[in-house]
Amino acid sequence: MKRPPVLVRVHIQGKEKGFGLWLPLFLLVPLGLALAIAFSPLILIALIVLRRRRLLSRVPGIARTSLRVLLSPRSIKTVLDVFCSTPGLRVEVRNKNEQVYISVI
Amino acid sequence: MSDNQKKVLEMLADKKISVDEAYRLLSALKTEPGAPEGTERPEAPAKPKPKYLRVTVAPGPHHMHDEDAELINVRVPMSLIRSGMKLSSLLPGEAGEKVTEALGEKGINLDMHNMKPEDIDELIAALADLEVNVVNDKEIVKVHVE
Repeated sequence: MKRPPVLVRVHIQGKEKGFGLWLPLFLLVPLGLALAIAFSPLILIALIVLRRRRLLSRVPGIARTSLRVLLSPRSIKTVLDVFCSTPGLRVEVRNKNEQVYISVI
Repeated sequence: MSDNQKKVLEMLADKKISVDEAYRLLSALKTEPGAPEGTERPEAPAKPKPKYLRVTVAPGPHHMHDEDAELINVRVPMSLIRSGMKLSSLLPGEAGEKVTEALGEKGINLDMHNMKPEDIDELIAALADLEVNVVNDKEIVKVHVE
């Protein structure tokens, strides 16, 4: 079982000024869950209406395919899997005057 | 115990060879690639599983002090590569075929749609031996796993 990222550290250093930021993702997870629970009845109703009235078939080609892919449980699982695989990711770009550092913990 | 090992011990018992010579012969028999089954062979040390893919781009030796010289250092977890490859399975059929076609034109025979988890694991295991060094006048690009 992979654990989701807990923190994201961002550090941007300019020529004169710089700032560092610690984004506590572990605080966003309960918030996201609460929002998902709050909106789930609405999402369910929207899905039933879409299916009953066959609205999805009226959406033109590529948008319909994209919607189908985005709304499928498999894609949600895969996206969550990617999100939970990000801990350990580090990106650092710097030149003489500036530096950008992003780290997912 | 193999026949060869028995012969060495017999020769030692008959005092035809010294203890040191017997030891050397037995050691040689153990490491012999064609040695019959049952003989001990030293185990190859297990390769550590690669955890990260590291990509670094550094300015070349003559551009080190340039104003726009950039240093890029990216560390990507292998698990992210594995999950990212699974994303390709979400591509709609038509788009997947186009991607496979485009890759084929570039000489890469990779069918993104028929990729199994075992194939991805095999590919990632093969990355353990990967090391790419591109050096030119302007920059030095290094790709390796750690």
